Amino acid sequence: MLENLDVVAIAALLPLTACMLVTQVDPYHALIIRGILGAVAALVYALFGAADVALTEALVGTMLSITLYAIAVRSSMSLRLGTLATAAPNLDAAVPSALGQQLFPALRQAIKKHHLRLEVLPYASPQALQFALENKEIHAVCVPAEQLATTQGTDDVAAPYLLNVRIPRLYETLAAALPPELVAVSFSRALRLTSAAPPPPDSQLQNALEG
Amino acid sequence: MNGILLAMILALLIPIYEAWQDEDIWQKMLAFASIATKTSIMILVVSVLRDDWMIGLVGVLILSVGNAALMLLAHIIRRLNEA
Repeated sequence: MLENLDVVAIAALLPLTACMLVTQVDPYHALIIRGILGAVAALVYALFGAADVALTEALVGTMLSITLYAIAVRSSMSLRLGTLATAAPNLDAAVPSALGQQLFPALRQAIKKHHLRLEVLPYASPQALQFALENKEIHAVCVPAEQLATTQGTDDVAAPYLLNVRIPRLYETLAAALPPELVAVSFSRALRLTSAAPPPPDSQLQNALEG
Repeated sequence: MNGILLAMILALLIPIYEAWQDEDIWQKMLAFASIATKTSIMILVVSVLRDDWMIGLVGVLILSVGNAALMLLAHIIRRLNEA
């Protein structure tokens, strides 16, 4: 036992890193720890004389698997949010300023706890937005509250924006996390929007102040 | 000879502790790079101690090619933080 102390110590690294791996919560952190586990496993295999297994573990188990899993996690753990793009050609300018400055940071903060990321997809018209929501291309729709058809209008007129979520679990998360004075969160699998393009929020604010 | 390996195992425990404790993802990547290099060097040391050329060849391959995973993962994480 004592003459093989180094072998025992190296072999003990494998369950140590494996326990580190299963206690990770963030999927990206878990991927990095998986790479560490692969490196230690390749060391243990080489120590026991299995050079071919060590090479396969290092190339396939570490390099290929964590790269593929990183792409899979990146494409699956995202909240696809559809917004209305105005006639401005620049995408950054297309999103109204209040959306970019207040709502998106709050939304990112709310979904960051669940390791999701926000993916904003601007759509040209309300019809395209409705179509995308009904065809499950996007998970949620964020529009100005005036854009909603009056038949489905909510009583909560204080919030300047409406966030309609298609997925129940996501709705529960966002309704609890987002401030109600900023955005009204609703749950519906189909949304009816007015076709008329709304005036920009800044001019609405000026009209309200002047009126 | 066992003393060399035991010292290298102790040195390997430092980045493992760092990867376990630090919540910053780039610190974890640094610890991953450190561990990947250290384990490859340990494979080379074992191959020299045992006079086994097959293990030595595998150690060289892991040392040179294995860090490509680190580079690919770093690119994906960087693009994730930019988005």
